Amino acid sequence: MAKGCDIRARCQSIGWPRDYGSTEVSRPAGGTSRQFVDRAVGKLLFCAALAAIVAVFFIIVFLLRDGYQIVLETGLWNFLTGMNWNPTGQNPSYGVFPLITGTLLVMALAMVIAVPLSIGSAVFIAEIASPGMKSIIKPAIELLAGIPSVVYGFFGLILLTDWIRVVFDQPSGSSWLAGSILLAIMAIPTITSVAEDAISSVPREFKEGSLALGATHWQTIRRVIVPGALSGISAAIILGMGRAIGETMAVLMVTGNAAIIPDPITNVFSPVRTLTGTLGIEMGEVAFGSTHYHALFGVAVVLLFITLAINSVARVIITRIQGTQGTARSAPSGRVVTAIRGFVPYRALTAAASRITHATSAPFGRLLPPRVSQRCAFLLISLSVAIVIAALGVILFEIVVNGAGAISWEFLTGSPRDLGRAGGIFPAIVGTFYLVGGALAVALPLGIATAIYLIEYTADTPLTRSIRAAVDLLNGTPSIVFGLFGFAFLVLFMGFGVSLIAGQITLGLMILPTIIRTTEEALRSIPGSLREGSYALGATKWQTIWRVVLPPALPGILTGAILSIGRAAGETAPIMFTAAIFSSRFLPSSLTEPVMALPYHLFVLTTTVPGAATQSYGTAFVLLMLVLTIYLAAILVRRRYSQATVM
Amino acid sequence: MTTVAVTGILVVLLMVAGCVGEQSSNSSTSPSQQITVIGSTTVLPIAEQAREAFEARDASADIMVSGGGSGAGVKSAGEGTADIGMSSRDLKSTETTSYPDLVKHHIADDAILLVVNPANSVESLTLDEVRGIYNGTYTNWNQVGGSDRQIVVVGRDSASGTREFFSEFVMDGEDFIRTQEEFNSNGGIQQKVSQTPGALGYVGLGYTDGVKPLALNVNGADVEPTLKNITDGTYPISRPLYMLTNGEPEGLAQRYLEFIMSAEGQEIVASEDYIPLRG
Repeated sequence: MAKGCDIRARCQSIGWPRDYGSTEVSRPAGGTSRQFVDRAVGKLLFCAALAAIVAVFFIIVFLLRDGYQIVLETGLWNFLTGMNWNPTGQNPSYGVFPLITGTLLVMALAMVIAVPLSIGSAVFIAEIASPGMKSIIKPAIELLAGIPSVVYGFFGLILLTDWIRVVFDQPSGSSWLAGSILLAIMAIPTITSVAEDAISSVPREFKEGSLALGATHWQTIRRVIVPGALSGISAAIILGMGRAIGETMAVLMVTGNAAIIPDPITNVFSPVRTLTGTLGIEMGEVAFGSTHYHALFGVAVVLLFITLAINSVARVIITRIQGTQGTARSAPSGRVVTAIRGFVPYRALTAAASRITHATSAPFGRLLPPRVSQRCAFLLISLSVAIVIAALGVILFEIVVNGAGAISWEFLTGSPRDLGRAGGIFPAIVGTFYLVGGALAVALPLGIATAIYLIEYTADTPLTRSIRAAVDLLNGTPSIVFGLFGFAFLVLFMGFGVSLIAGQITLGLMILPTIIRTTEEALRSIPGSLREGSYALGATKWQTIWRVVLPPALPGILTGAILSIGRAAGETAPIMFTAAIFSSRFLPSSLTEPVMALPYHLFVLTTTVPGAATQSYGTAFVLLMLVLTIYLAAILVRRRYSQATVM
Repeated sequence: MTTVAVTGILVVLLMVAGCVGEQSSNSSTSPSQQITVIGSTTVLPIAEQAREAFEARDASADIMVSGGGSGAGVKSAGEGTADIGMSSRDLKSTETTSYPDLVKHHIADDAILLVVNPANSVESLTLDEVRGIYNGTYTNWNQVGGSDRQIVVVGRDSASGTREFFSEFVMDGEDFIRTQEEFNSNGGIQQKVSQTPGALGYVGLGYTDGVKPLALNVNGADVEPTLKNITDGTYPISRPLYMLTNGEPEGLAQRYLEFIMSAEGQEIVASEDYIPLRG
């Protein structure tokens, strides 16, 4: 940006571009009004960018408002390091240490499973797959993101835990391992999609140059393409971690929820309990205002701080990677980076990060001839895609086989009767559309504006750093915490009641960070030369953004929107206390009325209504088809745009 | 920079003000024939079936039923965000202090059944044995008359009204074994027990598909958890279910509650596998 202005200033100083004839007359007036627009737009974008900070501020305030009492009651140290979580015992104890351990263990193992598979899949889609194959596999993996967490939980409870119990001959399959496998499957589409975008946006010249030097395809991928996309891949992993640490509904159905630390600590078959799971299963029933209630808000605050810590570590890694790459071999910029370099664990962290990204390549490094190592590597990469697709296949098969039978005209167009065991789900379908549409209406303008402000308008200032930190924090904020916040702030404090608009805003906040992140990544991948060219022709900053930068960035932005739709349509936790009702005869006629929604309907059917298995599979089937349709539409749009920009 | 910040704050304030304004104008136009019922998922099936039968008679009534849990039910009724709250437990002292006007309506009872996997050869347990299993004294089924298999203890979450009742009635307030697996719904426990050979869990009367309910050995005689035994009190584990209103109910809420208490309403209670009010 600074460069662009520079060049423009220089151009103007040498009297270029020259104005001819009539343009010379109209130029001054047009110029000032354009500058006015430019400045106004800048301010507007700045305001939008503040939204993330405002949201985080309110979330923290409202969590602390209800959570600080527990610290007064038990003492901070006892709360954090207490080994016993037993809020309803004879002598209630509120120790969250086993919950913290459980959360970290489940997330760590999930990432160990998900990261290699995701990066393998991303490399496969971007580099190895034929165009035809790519057009099938990419949407298929994105579809995994659209499967609602309740469906994952149901699937996990019925198939996965039983499979673990039988295969590993354990008394019970509800375990750390089950939670991690499920979380890994849920994080894979997020990581894969964003990493694939990053890999695809590595300039073609890099690849061509490497191939021209005689490197094999695999050597090019390993040494040139993946390192070039490392910042995007890191962002992808952080997004995935955010998804994993925040997941509630699926995890609580498969981990067994015993508040213990596995013994020994590597016992993956031990039941564990996560912080989110604790909120998910206890929040609804707890007496408001009791010590237990405050303890749960305390848990939410702890969760938020863990997220913050993980994000900070991750940001240091990214900064480091970008530092070594962007400005190449020059001294690392910034005092912070230099200071951090001195830390011992930091070396271990970066080593771990680079090891992860090179996981598939390491064994073949120098031992094998290039051709053989390429074959081995491609085999492993294909295998990772096969595993991911197989997971998708199993879940889809389960839903389609059991759900298609429930579909009838009445089921699609009628209202539910007999607790959802008969009748249809039409109000839930419409309600889901309303919720997702409203969430997008809130999040898309805010998110895109924030990303534009961050990438195009400012350099690295304390303000942008805090905006980015706020976005990271929002991204890591578990959906159940959004639900709590929505209930405490929108439903009670603002007096919206359980209503459509409370759900839309809550969901909108939840998907905001995904949209900001993916839009940022898309804008960053637009070469600076395009902007400079536009400035050189005399365009203002806003004209440059609107006409030159945004159009080629659109496919990337759409990817973010697609991921968000999938997430918003399938989430239960944020709408459970803010917008959803189990049944209503009428469609909502205003924003202040509550709605039925497919994921919530599914959740109630599977957990509360006996004898509704067929209808719950049917509801899952419809939800899946709905998301699939939205995805297909969005993918078609994206394809059209990417063709248009190529031409 | 300062002007920019001020503009930003103004815009946010305007947005907030806009939302509030819209809210207040809308709420005044909502129809009087509309009520919301929120709370315990245990009570939800009764509320929902009663709504359907009630609306079939009174076409102008619009009753909206939602879950969320007993805590949400008490809170919503107390704060006035819902017209009727549902709770599967009695009010806590903090709740009666915050919402002194809440009126409890006892609408039905709920039995709690001990369930095991159908492959389990055990047919009945004494209350002492049940307590021994849940506090960790017994860890293998052969200690309580079954085959050699590790017991997988399954229970409800610690905020659940069902667990609270179970804890008081069966456990005498003793702590549960810490390795107990916890689920937040009857359906979750039912699913878990139906596919885990060594599991023992407790659920409501309606959740017996795929699991085997145990008889309770009281004073040397096995008592089966049948509707008759539960209704006359021979089978001892059952608890009251409540609907809550802030002050005495009026209008549609009153008519809806009266309907549930009526003979027709209590038939619905029985058909959903809950225990109708005695007498």
